[in-house]
Amino acid sequence: MIIRAKNEQSNIRIVGAGHSSMPLVETKQMLLRQDNLHGLIDYDMQTKRVKLLPGTNIREAGEILIKLRLSMHNTGDVDYQNLSGAFGTGTHGSGNTLPNLSAMMVGCRVVDGTGKTHAFTLENDPEMIHALRVSLGALGFFTELTIQTVQAHRFTRKEYYTHITACLENLDELIDNNLMFDFYWYPRSDGAKLRLCNPVGEGMSNVGYGKLDKEREGWLYEILPKERTDKFEEMEYALPREAAVECFNEVRKRIKAKHRQYVGWRVLFRTVAADDSYLSPFYQRGSVTLALLQNHQLEYQKYFEDMEPILRHFGGRPHWGKKHSLTAEELAPLYPRWERFRQIRREMDPQGIFLNDYLNKIFGL
Amino acid sequence: MKDDAFGIKVWALSAGYIPLKSNGKEPDFVSQDKMAVLNTGREDAHLKLTIYFSDGETAGTYELTVQGQRVRAFRVNDLIFPHAIPLGVAYGCIIESDVPVVVQFTKLYSTQDDLALMGTTAYGHTENDNGKRRG
Repeated sequence: MIIRAKNEQSNIRIVGAGHSSMPLVETKQMLLRQDNLHGLIDYDMQTKRVKLLPGTNIREAGEILIKLRLSMHNTGDVDYQNLSGAFGTGTHGSGNTLPNLSAMMVGCRVVDGTGKTHAFTLENDPEMIHALRVSLGALGFFTELTIQTVQAHRFTRKEYYTHITACLENLDELIDNNLMFDFYWYPRSDGAKLRLCNPVGEGMSNVGYGKLDKEREGWLYEILPKERTDKFEEMEYALPREAAVECFNEVRKRIKAKHRQYVGWRVLFRTVAADDSYLSPFYQRGSVTLALLQNHQLEYQKYFEDMEPILRHFGGRPHWGKKHSLTAEELAPLYPRWERFRQIRREMDPQGIFLNDYLNKIFGL
Repeated sequence: MKDDAFGIKVWALSAGYIPLKSNGKEPDFVSQDKMAVLNTGREDAHLKLTIYFSDGETAGTYELTVQGQRVRAFRVNDLIFPHAIPLGVAYGCIIESDVPVVVQFTKLYSTQDDLALMGTTAYGHTENDNGKRRG
């Protein structure tokens, strides 16, 4: 494929599950699917490192790992993304001490734009791992991923309804005393749904100011993702944690003042630990993510366009796979290792085989 | 206690309108239309709501369940699946249930500090209307 692309001066994009709503993989040339490249390659119980094929999806990875009594440290809200796609876009769950999913990647085999296969590990080349974890498929395509797993535990997931005021008054306690915590705010009622997920016997056992709605126990990969059939558009920004509540209050005020006529869907507040991946929205910054969701049948562009400046004002970095309007000029100052990433990209793919129009735009090429 | 299903299966509302403005603490004092559904039978009532506007496509189907021998009230404002019903526009609604129920409709407009609350029974569609039952 690489030889063909070079000879034809065409491009290759690698598609995962198609969960992203930005044109990261859009191409009229070669589109590579890795769905059939899935499953377990090898594992080491001493280090808890597991080698998987890159087309393995989150659900399957959970099923493979539980047979070894191992687990991923976290997952997002859905589990049908391929690992390579979830890593490449900085997909994350929620938890103040838990980094995004790509932080699991401690090794890989990757084919670059010259057709050469490289094997990298966190130990032999930490810089390349930090560049490759969140790389939007712009450095090459993976043929193998090594992930750092953790011992599997049974988890309890609880959901409570409360008023947003009670949620915000107790926010620090909720974040600090639960391994995984997030909340939805509902713009039309000022209600909040609190979601707590902890190893059995740990975390907050009750939320006195909330009404328990659901409770479930199971392995993490079973109880964390939700089945999602509703179609929606989404904008999400990662904010410095210290700015998050003020930003959320501005978002809430603005939605209630200007957008409630057509916006009834929720705003999702999650926490994510800092990491060292060059293009991670959480690069060296403990973060809160605010996600605005809007039904796909309703107007979303005006809503997102009006809200984005608020999210940017508080230092937000956009989720790579969700709606945002930023181009290279605005993105570069947000990422301290931006230039180094671009340099590595040129080295890995000198002819730009793994680019498309959209990636050219966001990388300023 | 009455254990048989009381009411009818198809109801209609034509005076739907939720103002954009509200005063007071939410959700209690948010301007709202509310439907209260009484299901006296033992079986759960599965409701399907279709919303009509003064202009544009209909919206729905919004699905709700009211357990047997229970009453359930819900704000129309909170019907957001498949999508949020716009505020500040007139709408009407057909409510279809698989078992007989009674539907009452209340409005709370808090656009000014002096609150106003009113209620009415929805229009119950029977077989005598137009000679046939909807659906």
